[in-house]
Amino acid sequence: MTLEHYLILSALLFCIGLLGALTRRNAVVVLFSIEIMLNAANLNFIAFWRFSSNPEALHGPLFTLFTIAVAAAEVAVGLALIIAVYRHFKTVDLEQLDTLKEE
Amino acid sequence: MTQEITFWVLAVIAVLGALVAVRRRNLIHGVFALMIFFASLSGLFLLLLAEFIAAVQILVYIGAVGILLLFAIMLTERVTGDDARRVTSRGWFWGLVATIVIFVYLLLPAIQEANLPETAQPIKPSVEALGKKLMNPYVVTLEVLALLLTAALIGAVAAAQGARENKEEQSDDS
Repeated sequence: MTLEHYLILSALLFCIGLLGALTRRNAVVVLFSIEIMLNAANLNFIAFWRFSSNPEALHGPLFTLFTIAVAAAEVAVGLALIIAVYRHFKTVDLEQLDTLKEE
Repeated sequence: MTQEITFWVLAVIAVLGALVAVRRRNLIHGVFALMIFFASLSGLFLLLLAEFIAAVQILVYIGAVGILLLFAIMLTERVTGDDARRVTSRGWFWGLVATIVIFVYLLLPAIQEANLPETAQPIKPSVEALGKKLMNPYVVTLEVLALLLTAALIGAVAAAQGARENKEEQSDDS
């Protein structure tokens, strides 16, 4: 397999995640669309590392480890925020959370 | 040859899993599709000889993130979502257009025009070297990351807890 295959796969996965984040109304689904996008980026890091001229430096796996840790923190905080929003507004529907619009 | 078959099978599973996760009306089914997506991505990491990252992917994403998402769904909306309401937001068409435009006009040309290396060099198992790297040049990053995780944990508890206290105050007032 060439690097191009991996890059196209990861671009496709990123776009699927973007589609979910842009088109769904449920905040939880938007959160896991963002997870899909982060995972696509991780796949890129690993693929570039595997095909790099200096794989001994291990930049790809190290960076991916750090990304995974940050993503885990992001999920924890994001879910806590969603639960807080749900307790306050009684919904996680992003179209109904429009208090700032003042209709 | 085996590698190519494995790649294509995993790629198809990953794309289908992600699509189902994003488009499915039932959120619980969506989370399980998401776990399948994470698992196939872990398989792709193994195919790229990043065995430690594959293990971490399973531990963190399927073990922790998936369960966390399940709990968040059960704590919030009705699970099945079988009512007639739309799943997509009002501007879904423009979201679709933006996604397709980004894929076709931004990502694909960037990949095709880049001067990519063709062959992968043989590499040794990297877990031991990874541990040593984390201790020697990247120890500060590791510590900062630990601090970030702790802060995120405390922040998550505080955010989820604070909302409940606010609600109790409101119900006391009324």
